[in-house]
Amino acid sequence: MLKFDEIFVTRDWFGKPVRRAADKRFVTGEGSYVDDLPFDCAHAGFVRSPHAHARLGRIDTSKAEAMTGVLAVMTGPEVAALTNPVGARAITRPARQHVMATGKVRYVGEPVAIVVAENRYILEDALELVEVEYDPLPVVVEIDDAMRSDAPLVFEEAGSNILLHDTLSHGNIDEAFREADVVVKEQFRIQRFSSTPLENWAIIAKYEKGTDSYVVWANDQQPGRTIVNVCNVLGIAASKLRLIVPDSGGGFGIKLAIWPYIISQCLVARKVDKPVKWIQTRHEHLLGGTHTPDCIVDLELAIKKDGKILGLRMRDRQNDGSFVHTAGIYNLIKFANLVGCYDIRSTHNEMMSIVTNKAPTVQNRGVGKPAMMFTLERLAHRAARHLGMDPAEFRFRNFIQPEQMPYTTPWGEIYESGNYPECLRKALAQINYDEIKGEQESLRKAGTYIGIGLSASVEPGTSNLGYYYTSRGTPEYMGNAEGAIVSMDYDGNINVLLGSVEEGQGHATAVSQVVADMLAITPDRVTMASQMDSMMSPFLGHSGCYANRFNDVDMGAVIMATKKVRDKVLKIAAHKLDSPVTELQLGNGAVCSTKQKDRRITFKEIATLAYKQVLLLPPDMEPGLKEVAYYKNSFAKLPGKEDFNVQMTHGNSVHAVVVEVDTKSGMVHFRKYVIVHDCGRQINPGIVDGMAIGSTVHGIGTALLEEFVYDENGQILTTSFADYLKPLAIDLPRFELSHLESPCPTTLLGTKAVGEGGAIGSLAAIANAVEDALTPFGVKVTSLPMTPEKVLRAIRETKVI
Amino acid sequence: MIPPKFEYIAPTSLADVASFLASHPGESKLLAGGQSLIPILKLRLASPGYLVDLGRIGGLSYIREEPAAEGRPAGIAIGAMTTYAEIRKSALLREKCALLTQTAATVADVQVRNRGTLGGSLAHADPSADMPAAVLALGAELKAVGSNGERWIKIADYFKGMFTTALAENEILTEIRVPILSGQRTAYIKAARRPTDFAIAGVAVRLRLGTSDMCEDIAIGVTGVGDRAYRPADVERALKGKRLDPNLIEAAAAEAVRGVEPLSNVHGSAEYRAQIARVYVARAIAAVC
Amino acid sequence: MHKIRLRINGKEYEEEVEARLLLVHFLRDKLHLTGTHVGCDTGNCGACTVSSNGKTVKSCNMLAVQADGGDLITIEGVATGALDPVQEAFLDKFAVQCGYCTPGMIMSALALLKDTPRPTEAEIREAIEGNICMCTGYQQIVDAISHAAARLSQVRE
Repeated sequence: MLKFDEIFVTRDWFGKPVRRAADKRFVTGEGSYVDDLPFDCAHAGFVRSPHAHARLGRIDTSKAEAMTGVLAVMTGPEVAALTNPVGARAITRPARQHVMATGKVRYVGEPVAIVVAENRYILEDALELVEVEYDPLPVVVEIDDAMRSDAPLVFEEAGSNILLHDTLSHGNIDEAFREADVVVKEQFRIQRFSSTPLENWAIIAKYEKGTDSYVVWANDQQPGRTIVNVCNVLGIAASKLRLIVPDSGGGFGIKLAIWPYIISQCLVARKVDKPVKWIQTRHEHLLGGTHTPDCIVDLELAIKKDGKILGLRMRDRQNDGSFVHTAGIYNLIKFANLVGCYDIRSTHNEMMSIVTNKAPTVQNRGVGKPAMMFTLERLAHRAARHLGMDPAEFRFRNFIQPEQMPYTTPWGEIYESGNYPECLRKALAQINYDEIKGEQESLRKAGTYIGIGLSASVEPGTSNLGYYYTSRGTPEYMGNAEGAIVSMDYDGNINVLLGSVEEGQGHATAVSQVVADMLAITPDRVTMASQMDSMMSPFLGHSGCYANRFNDVDMGAVIMATKKVRDKVLKIAAHKLDSPVTELQLGNGAVCSTKQKDRRITFKEIATLAYKQVLLLPPDMEPGLKEVAYYKNSFAKLPGKEDFNVQMTHGNSVHAVVVEVDTKSGMVHFRKYVIVHDCGRQINPGIVDGMAIGSTVHGIGTALLEEFVYDENGQILTTSFADYLKPLAIDLPRFELSHLESPCPTTLLGTKAVGEGGAIGSLAAIANAVEDALTPFGVKVTSLPMTPEKVLRAIRETKVI
Repeated sequence: MIPPKFEYIAPTSLADVASFLASHPGESKLLAGGQSLIPILKLRLASPGYLVDLGRIGGLSYIREEPAAEGRPAGIAIGAMTTYAEIRKSALLREKCALLTQTAATVADVQVRNRGTLGGSLAHADPSADMPAAVLALGAELKAVGSNGERWIKIADYFKGMFTTALAENEILTEIRVPILSGQRTAYIKAARRPTDFAIAGVAVRLRLGTSDMCEDIAIGVTGVGDRAYRPADVERALKGKRLDPNLIEAAAAEAVRGVEPLSNVHGSAEYRAQIARVYVARAIAAVC
Repeated sequence: MHKIRLRINGKEYEEEVEARLLLVHFLRDKLHLTGTHVGCDTGNCGACTVSSNGKTVKSCNMLAVQADGGDLITIEGVATGALDPVQEAFLDKFAVQCGYCTPGMIMSALALLKDTPRPTEAEIREAIEGNICMCTGYQQIVDAISHAAARLSQVRE
């Protein structure tokens, strides 16, 4: 593995808050999102089931087809007949599902027919004309109902609604609970929510008759896997699909589940002479455009009276709705993060993935880690209180210590570095912990209730794919890797083509900084394609923007490809300057001899040799200056039940929050919000701050505002931004952010994941603060969101949120 | 997301609007700022045959002092097409009827306030809208124009139910008349999930406080709680002529939802709304003491 | 069909539109001014914010016919050539991540600074209360607007 010191020639840009100049197009309105692309398209839309569970009867499309301006209609059963079923990953019971409804519908919003019209306006008129017969079936919405032996089955062939059920024990859990002085336990409920990117899903599909192939533009987050999934389901060769991903207005994991719609779009595009565009409406997005599963987690900690945790028992039941592809994934990720930041040697985890007539789920920001850290850190707070111990002290007592790094959890997850105690110390100092506690006392006497909440959480990244040990056979993917093509152009400037994509994370800027320092040039001489085109892209099955892998495998590929370019540049320079490579140095876009400074050749001159004057190159050297590299995280081992190394980097953060609870209205306001964040080395602190704050605000939404509310008939009541409430600028605190840098020994740059941490650590910190504020009222927080109504009812009556 | 088809007309006089409404009964919706109507059309919750745009009629947007005339006291006249933003910025209103500027400042967000109109809000009568609470507490009068001429409607007779008012089908609301306040304190506070949201309970209060905290006169408008904005008469009665102190206010505010069936939705159950109404009525009164 | 005449970014337009055509679709689909975005269905997100007769409005909640005779500025018209100080500040202060809310945010920021050249943080947050951002958590946007205000007042002095 290339050492950090071998990577850079200069250190002018790495680690600096370099301006995101590559994103100028966004401030001028020249971004190129799917709906902006200048193609003359027909418009597609979906007829969706109004029932949560029903047999699908006759679909009469004749009136819609007869409408002027309607170009094509296809029904769910027609699509199903032309496609293979959707593959599952983590479940262990059979469950057959197609990308559109056939036979029956399983959730409100399931697509039943697709209509294509000349424009959006006619389309919406036409959608109203499709007549569908439904024969309603009994509905199952909540976890407890779905688990009953007489529950209606979402997938009859599974024989149960529990599609994954496994129990894993490590260490000696019985002994841990025997030796405990104290056992604290709680049942936590976390709601269904979503990170709702501001740009909804968008697909343009074009069928090319001549080659019987498809070109698709989509704001897809995982082009590597999407191409595989789409081709598998359509039953076509990979060469028959070209996927192009332009600018994308946010992803957060939600855009990992677009691919089923690409399939139906491709099929209907065959019937129309124009490209067909589908722009998901916000209503569709909230209705069935994928959610984080809601869950019920029972957690128990076995503790000695000095505060040391001996063992942890969890029963994790999650409501995966009705999409088999993602069912069970959250359970596995929660399991991988079971102990958070704590040195706990005995664990016992019973996990269940339960399907119901709720909407499909997807790996939304954090994928189970928000829930895991919420429950663990809530219980840690409670345990501390139970023991009469300060919550900070409890954490210091149980943290994995820096000298224990690299630390292997009982089931094999490896934390490579980190200094949790230092993060907490810094956070306590920043929040003026002791002072605030004093203030809390005096404010209480005056009838004002403030609370302090802490949370310490891990922020893992780079998913080691293949961790779905629960399914049979060899995993389809293993490890994680990315590809990059780096080239020097005629002018001696650098172009980068990355197999991956982004949704606003500033990859182009980060890449330009690293490449600039590798070649001793300025970042403005480095450009990265803002669009991924599978025809040209060095992508792999893993390629995409998910699990915070950019800093690891994306940068790894860029670095290795840039190094190849640099090596070749030096070889050409050595040849031209008649100097050994060891006597050359890079500087200001040129190579010169260390012995004689005037023996110098610029990048442009080198490029001229490589691309044009190829006869002047060293003998046996290929022309050109374009190099490809594929990079995998080499520390990943094939994951299995007993060697469950699921994530390859582990950042961490501490959130320290002060809230005030208006005990007459139940409303929660922020007084202070401190984040101490360790993502290893930072490529660009301005970008890192943006990720940390943005992610934390997602957590605030989850903690206080957002919920997909279902009634007993499986009808979802929150399908607009008037009802599904997102945080606004006006009600948020100013976040006080500081950083530690525990370099990561498993990535080339010593960087770790950035992007999910805030969503992970914020939930418990806010909940702990609310419970702390309400101590005089004896209120416990066991669920999210903490809506004003739930808070007020707890204060006045139930004592439980 | 896309409105259904409709015919669109933009008359340039009130008379034209009135006669159109009379000749096309029940087929039209009036378009003012559109901040409520256009979302309704986009969700296809209404499908009018005609959309009659009031935006081309001059002279419906004004804020001016009116002297006493025709048995009507002096007051401030506000044209129905006056926007929330214009109300908020009005120096005249800030000085002489601050309750309106205070309330307008809390409606939705900047963009909505730039288009949404007072007349539109009152004609639409969303049970959770803010302005109805203010005009109720002010004892406003509304001018309605129809093909039969014009009439004045007292605000106490105006709100009839959810999205239902005393306006006849073919009438257009053209003006809102509010009193000139002097020696009175006003406030509007609302409980909402976020500051830009509809009120779970919005309370407007107008108080004339005499010496020694004597409540000489009080009017309270409550929105967001019931199927329409209302005056909690029992609360007012408990306070009028009394010396205001926190205990009295709290006891009076406990009657905030008497005779009202609170609404229930994802943002708050009936029980929660009732409790919030009590709390915020007390807070609004305390704010002006 | 209705004929509308209006000025957009200083240029005169005359077009025939269906009555129900939303202003945002008129801008995006008919005129190919795609800098103004659609992020929701109910007028809650502000991604479609443009300036109409000097005031910011949500173009998804206006009909194109209502804009007849009007004077609109969209993000495309904010600057020709050099960037406006607000646009520069957004880039300087990391106020841009995915860019989808950015045009609407910038329009709201420009409107604020026109009326309130030296806004407080609270005033800035209120000015953008009708613009949802899913990426930044708003803090860097607030800082950018504040920074732009400071730069503009330096320029004036």
